[in-house]
Amino acid sequence: MELLPQALMDGILLGGIYITIAIAFSLTYGVMHIIDFAVGEWIMFGAFAGYYLNKWTGLDPFLLLPFVFLIFALIGYLIQPVIHRVLSGNKGNPLLMGLVFTFGLAIMFQGIALTVFGFYSNSTPSVFSEGSFFIEKFGFFLTISSIRLAGLIYALAITAALHYLLKKTNFGLGVRALALNRDSAGLMGVNGKQTASLVYGLYVGVSAMTGVLIGCILSVSAQMGTEYTIFAFFVVVLAGMGYLAGVPWAALLLGMVQSIFLIYFNPGHTLLAVFAILYIILLISPRGLFGRGV
Amino acid sequence: MNVLDVKDVAVKYGDLQALWGISFSVKKGQLVALIGANGAGKTTTLKSICGLVPLAGGEIKHNGSVISGQPVHKVVDLGITLVPEGRQLFSKMTVEENLLVGAYLKRTHSKRAATLKHVYTVFPRLEERRNQTAETLSGGEQQMVAIGRALMQDPQVIMFDEPSLGLAPLMVKEVFNVIQELHRQGLTIFLVEQNVHQTLKVADYCYVMENGRIVGEGTGKQLEADESIREAYLGF
Repeated sequence: MELLPQALMDGILLGGIYITIAIAFSLTYGVMHIIDFAVGEWIMFGAFAGYYLNKWTGLDPFLLLPFVFLIFALIGYLIQPVIHRVLSGNKGNPLLMGLVFTFGLAIMFQGIALTVFGFYSNSTPSVFSEGSFFIEKFGFFLTISSIRLAGLIYALAITAALHYLLKKTNFGLGVRALALNRDSAGLMGVNGKQTASLVYGLYVGVSAMTGVLIGCILSVSAQMGTEYTIFAFFVVVLAGMGYLAGVPWAALLLGMVQSIFLIYFNPGHTLLAVFAILYIILLISPRGLFGRGV
Repeated sequence: MNVLDVKDVAVKYGDLQALWGISFSVKKGQLVALIGANGAGKTTTLKSICGLVPLAGGEIKHNGSVISGQPVHKVVDLGITLVPEGRQLFSKMTVEENLLVGAYLKRTHSKRAATLKHVYTVFPRLEERRNQTAETLSGGEQQMVAIGRALMQDPQVIMFDEPSLGLAPLMVKEVFNVIQELHRQGLTIFLVEQNVHQTLKVADYCYVMENGRIVGEGTGKQLEADESIREAYLGF
C-alpha cells in the first residue's frame, strides 16, 4: 500500500506528457478527419532534434523548445497540402487512404531515422535531470524527479495555451467551426485549406516539442515512435474521437495504468493491460469514456 | 448595376447534370425569388454562386466582375452570404459563438460587438439563449441564429435556401416578415423557396425552375396570371 501514492504521482507526471501528445492529435483528427499514424515519428524526430541541438549548441533542451516548435510547425504546414491531396482524391475511400498514407509515412520516417541515427538509445541532458523532491507525510514517502515535474509544468502550459487558442481567439473559433461543419465554416469565410495547414503545423510542432522532453525524461531512439502512436491512439479513442475535453482525463488514466503496472505487475504486460482496458471501456461505451465522441 | 449575374451556368455531379445552362440576374436592392419543386436544382444554383460546387460551364459575376472559380471564403468576403438549407449551425457551439463565427472575416471582425448588439435587437430571443448550445434550440430559433449569423457578415446580398422548411406556420410567417424587413432596409435578397404562395407575394421578381432549367420568369402577378405556369409549377 505504501507504494500507491508514488504510483499515482508517477501516473500523473507521465499522463501530463500524454495530454500534450493527444490533444494536438485529437485536434488534427477533428479538423482534417485524419488519424495520423505518424504522430510517434514526429515525436521521435523532435527528440532527435533536441538531442543534437543540445549537443551542438550546449543550450538546455527547455530553451530549445520554441526553436524546435518553429522548425517542425513549418514542416507540418508545408506537408499538410500533400496529405490533403491524398484525402480529397476522388479515388478510393478517403479515410482508408489517410490511414495507409500516414502509416506509410511512419514506416518511411522510422527507416530514415534508423539509417541516419542508428540503433542506439540516448538521452538528452538538462539542468533538471539530476535533482528530485522528497515528500514525507502521513507515513507515505514520495519522490518526484525535477525533470518529470518540469515535464508536467510544460504539459499544463501547452494545454492552457491550446485551450486559450481554441476558446478565446478568432482563429480558434474558425478552427472549431471547421471541425463542426466544413461547408458552413467556408460560408462564414473560414479558409478551410489554410486553417487545416496551420492546425497540422501546430500539431507537428507540439508533438516535436513533446519529443524533446521525452528525450530528456526517458530516452531517444529511432524506434521510440510506435509506442507513442499507440498511446496517442489509445487516449483519443478512450476520450471519444474528436472530443477534446475528454483528452486530459483519458491521458491521466493511461499514465496511471502504466505506472501501476510498472510498480505492482510485470512492466512487460503494460501494453496488454492498456488494450484490455480500452477494449472493455469501448464495449461498455463505444463513444469513449464520456459518450461524447463520434 | 446587377449584384449577381448568372450566365449559362452548368453544374455536373459526376455523370449527373444538375444545371443545364441557367441564366438570371439580381439587381441591387431587389428581392428576387427562385421557385421550383424538389430536385429542380435550386440548392445547386445557390452552391454554385457561393463556390461550393465547381461550374461545368458558364460564369457568375458580382457587381460586374467574375467570381466563379473563386473559393467559398473569397466569395463570402465580397459580401455574398448564404443562409443554407437546414440552417447548418455549429451544433455544439453556443448561440453567441455561432453568431461570432459570422464575424470571422477581417472586414467584419473589428465591428463585431456592434453588429452582435444589432442582431440581439432584431432577435431578442437569441440574447436570452446566448449561452445555450445551438442544438438545444427549436427549429424557429435555429433559423433566427442562421439569419443572425448571416447579418453578422455585413452582407450586400443574402441568399436564403428554403428558410421556411420544417417550421411551424407561425414561425414561417415570422421568417417571411424578417426577410421583408431586411429587404425594406435596402438589402438585396435572393430567396429560394418551395412555399410558392408566400414567396410570390413578397418577391419583386421570380424565376421558376424545373429539372435544372429556368422555365419561366416574371413578377408575382405575371406568374400568377400565366395559366400554363400556374398549372404546371405553382400548383394552384
